[in-house]
Amino acid sequence: MTDQHTDPDLDEAPPSADEALALIRQQQTALERDQLSGIPWMLGVWGVAWSVGFLALWSGYDGGNPWFRIPLPIAAIVFAALLIGSAVVSAVIGMRLNRGVRGPSNFSGAVYGIAWPIVALSAYLIGVALAVNGMDRTMQSLFFPAIYALVAGCMYIMGAAIWRSIDQLVLGIILIVAGTVAPFFGAPTNNLVMALVGGGALLISGLVMHLNLRRRRRA
Amino acid sequence: MTELDPVIHAAARLRITATLAGLTEGDRITFPRLQELLDMTAGNLSTHLRKLEDAEYVVVEKTHQGRTPTTFVSLTRRGRRAFEDYTETLRHLLGEKS
Repeated sequence: MTDQHTDPDLDEAPPSADEALALIRQQQTALERDQLSGIPWMLGVWGVAWSVGFLALWSGYDGGNPWFRIPLPIAAIVFAALLIGSAVVSAVIGMRLNRGVRGPSNFSGAVYGIAWPIVALSAYLIGVALAVNGMDRTMQSLFFPAIYALVAGCMYIMGAAIWRSIDQLVLGIILIVAGTVAPFFGAPTNNLVMALVGGGALLISGLVMHLNLRRRRRA
Repeated sequence: MTELDPVIHAAARLRITATLAGLTEGDRITFPRLQELLDMTAGNLSTHLRKLEDAEYVVVEKTHQGRTPTTFVSLTRRGRRAFEDYTETLRHLLGEKS
């Protein structure tokens, strides 16, 4: 920690109105940046998980990746490991986002954070119930990615509503479109659509947010 | 209204108030986290917080989280209003200049 602000001269009034206004903006930008800096990482981790995971699945099925094949059980393990890993990473980042702060904003953050695993588990269990009741493997491979993208898209839209974030709104809409359109391509191409559109949207929005935060840092 | 509030119009207290006003209304922040965000020494921050507390702009609450003592700082409604008036006055002054 530096002692740059311990100078007693700082106790004196800022010399001018524009300097004072600049100081306010600078401080509030620093606060916002500090609070948001984890989010691009979250999006990036999920973007990698979706891109690599769905490409692995696409490479696991007959009629999928024309360049190389991955045995399906291995592709499924890679996919599951990436999803679980991303969930753990984003839970850790999420819990640090508003650290040291208590109050109304905690409630929104906590509800949002807890909603993720609840809706993801619910979507998964609905698929399991359909599978138990006779949905075949091809239908399952169309259903799971679609409902997963729908759930994730809705969560980002909810995030956009809570934190008034256009970035998250756009991301949520793209994920919902990806989830809705992908099954029309049939299996296993739906996985490629998910990897490119869904994973791509996550990676790009993470990058855009990272660059926006860095630009504000310079301003 | 062209008088700048002398309680806020000092670099250190202006930075403290701006940071607290940047939080959601009603939120309170731990002393160490506020110190980290402001990059100020504990002594310096305490001194300025006391001045803001005397003006009833901030509330400093000492509580316990389990066995660990924790100090929370928050902007009062009066403090938030004073900060809003302050920024409005600044803009007014700048508007007059240009």
